[in-house]
Amino acid sequence: MEKAINRQRVLLQHLSPSSSAAEDESSLSASVCVAGDSAAYQRTSVFGDDVVIVAAYRTALCKSKRGGFKDTYPDDLLAPVLRALLEKTNLNPNEVGDIVVGTVLAPGSQRASECRMAAFYAGFPETVPVRTVNRQCSSGLQAVADVAAAIKAGFYDIGIGAGLESMTANPMAWEGSINPKVKEFVQAQDCLLPMGITSENVAHRFGVTRQEQDQAAVESHKRAAAATATGKFKDEIIPVSTKIVDPKTGDEKLVTISVDDGIRPNATMSDLAKLKPVFKKNGTTTAGNSSQVSDGAGAVLLMKRSVAMRKGLPILGVFRTFAAVGVDPAVMGIGPAVAIPAAVKSAGLELDDIDLFEINEAFASQFVYCRKKLDLDPEKINVNGGAMAIGHPLGATGARCVGTLLHEMKRRGKDCRFGVVSMCIGTGMGAAAVFERGDCVDELRNARTAENNNLLSKDAQ
Amino acid sequence: MLVSDCCYPCKQTNISTDLGLSFPQPVQEYPDPQPGSDLPSNQTIPIDNQKRDPKEKESEAANPNSPKPQKTKKMPVFKTPFNGYAVKFSPFYESRLAVATAQNFGILGNGRLHVLELSPAGPISEFASFDTADGVYDVTWSESHESLLIAAVADGSVKLYDLALPPASNPVRSLQEHSREVHSLDFNPVRRDSFLSSSWDDTIKLWTLDRPTSVRTFKEHAYCVYSSVWNPRHADVFASASGDCTIRVWDVREPGSTMILPAHEFEILACDWNKYDDCVLVSASVDKSIKVWDVRNFRIPVSVLNGHSYAVRKVKFSPHRRGAIASCSYDMTVCLWDYMVEDALIGRYDHHTEFAVGVDMSVLVEGLLASTGWDELVYVWQHGTDPRAP
Repeated sequence: MEKAINRQRVLLQHLSPSSSAAEDESSLSASVCVAGDSAAYQRTSVFGDDVVIVAAYRTALCKSKRGGFKDTYPDDLLAPVLRALLEKTNLNPNEVGDIVVGTVLAPGSQRASECRMAAFYAGFPETVPVRTVNRQCSSGLQAVADVAAAIKAGFYDIGIGAGLESMTANPMAWEGSINPKVKEFVQAQDCLLPMGITSENVAHRFGVTRQEQDQAAVESHKRAAAATATGKFKDEIIPVSTKIVDPKTGDEKLVTISVDDGIRPNATMSDLAKLKPVFKKNGTTTAGNSSQVSDGAGAVLLMKRSVAMRKGLPILGVFRTFAAVGVDPAVMGIGPAVAIPAAVKSAGLELDDIDLFEINEAFASQFVYCRKKLDLDPEKINVNGGAMAIGHPLGATGARCVGTLLHEMKRRGKDCRFGVVSMCIGTGMGAAAVFERGDCVDELRNARTAENNNLLSKDAQ
Repeated sequence: MLVSDCCYPCKQTNISTDLGLSFPQPVQEYPDPQPGSDLPSNQTIPIDNQKRDPKEKESEAANPNSPKPQKTKKMPVFKTPFNGYAVKFSPFYESRLAVATAQNFGILGNGRLHVLELSPAGPISEFASFDTADGVYDVTWSESHESLLIAAVADGSVKLYDLALPPASNPVRSLQEHSREVHSLDFNPVRRDSFLSSSWDDTIKLWTLDRPTSVRTFKEHAYCVYSSVWNPRHADVFASASGDCTIRVWDVREPGSTMILPAHEFEILACDWNKYDDCVLVSASVDKSIKVWDVRNFRIPVSVLNGHSYAVRKVKFSPHRRGAIASCSYDMTVCLWDYMVEDALIGRYDHHTEFAVGVDMSVLVEGLLASTGWDELVYVWQHGTDPRAP
């Protein structure tokens, strides 16, 4: 330790203007590190066994039943993103150990078969297995986390976590009868509540006003429109060639969908104020301040860092932690407020350390509540819009948020180090995952213009 | 000692007796600069001429027909896991570069020596790397063997590495004689068989590749010796820069130093000889200035170069241009000067985001610069271009 102190002293004397070795009144002096980062977290941890994300892509998200994908088979939504992962990274498909697809509403076995078929369309050989996972709205994120966990456990080195939902093909519905036992268990009965009612519960219990909700919706549309206009989504959206059938004439038209069609650039508070509450009389949740019902898919390619470096693939992000928590089903929207602190804590970080958030806007009420409860800076959350503008295809959302988050972190440069993806989950849960910016293997992006010519790193400011 | 066949044409020069020393006839010299390779004296490279607003970049990408600014060659970047301390181009291969790095800014932890391969149109790749128990503060290539390099390690040892041998047999040798950190190394470019190590234990040691112990120890400085550099023309002469605020010129054949230059009021962190004038050397100091001295008239500096806003960490004379000096400083910039010109600052690069502590100019490729800093990045670029990729 003595050696370290001596070295520090020698270096400090280079910076101190005094000529004598005695203690002088100098403008520079050593002090205990007052950096904002948590001291416990090592600044540079670049280990070969980190699980890294090398590519993340999604389809455009389109309105169900009326939008661009209304006549598209679900497997035709998944196949293009899987193929994009292979093509953009030049990966040999044989090396992929598993494909895990988060998907919610479709009948389990059928959807699992559809995903297997989609893998074949995408060019994967028969040797690559496929499975699905269902934790309701977090399924896409759960898929990514499952692949990361399997890589860490050593089951395979390269995996794909994806999400897929076609709410045109599979609307939300309950098949068969309901077990009468639910009448004895309040919380079990609450699992059957329509999502909109849970939104009203959150708004009522935690005092989120209609104005706040509409404001959040306007903001979401504005940001999403700005992102689309400046071409920010071009990095992550894979164009899908499909057909649209005109409902009146039955004519088929071949189209290529590459833009989210749910975004309303001109949404204003007054337009939203006109909408009537949909779920409860005198409620606050309207179609405008709820997430849209959409079709879409997303996929994320994960592997060990040592494998990525060997292949020379740029590292988009590093998977750090994942947490799933349970909350009261009647107010399921509060999920992120519990899940985010859990995931951040298990990463050894503080909430202050997180530079960017993607919190799913299932409903403006729960989104606003979580933002206020955690005291987060709105400038860091859903900077390119959220589910109210872009859409919420249940199983795909988690995977598409990962892609949106990591691409935005890449654009923001080295300053934007940690990001969080989180969502609430129907039946009373929440999930969150912490990602770290991919550190530079070959490419450096410092996209932000510096306001002042202060070249010190964020720690030292 | 016999000198092996030299690759440069031998030329008789006038023996300078002004110092009162008798130098042997020089056996090699750097070739004279080509006519036209010097920049005209009134040309200045504009500062930050390549920085572009990211929005501008995006709109440009959206409109491919807009006229693009002149295309600069993509100069790559290499990220080291530890903080950079020194870079050195190989004298044999123009695409090879050695980088000395140390963990935790060299204060506590391990070190790593990287040998990087530069490819003309692509990224920098790592050719080899060696881990050390303590930080590596400096690295130098052997002038006699193309695969040999020497690392100055912060635990006081000097380690020899041979790239031709498998990693298991490296380091070939570890010379532990200094009692404190070894700060710099320099290989004799004339004799090509010996090298100097300067240490914070106030001594300079002379070593040869074949001997396991040092040949000579020069102990005169009163504080850390930061750098010692051989004269490019005279095989036995070297200069040393020390924290006791003096530069000393030594002759190996003499028992002690032959000249003491009280060059600055503050610590002197680096020195170098002019490759085209064997009597001129440059010193860089904690007082943020760089001074050029003529040993024949050492009371007054030939030139004082001010411009850095913090201590100057390293200086190097250009092997291609008579008056050009590259310097890197704690103010995170790398500057290029020409002391023979009225407006001396001819280039300023602020690509580093932490202290810039290592800089080198390639002997084999004219105008090629490399720098590294505590931001863990190694940049290689051509003078006049932007170190960061377009």
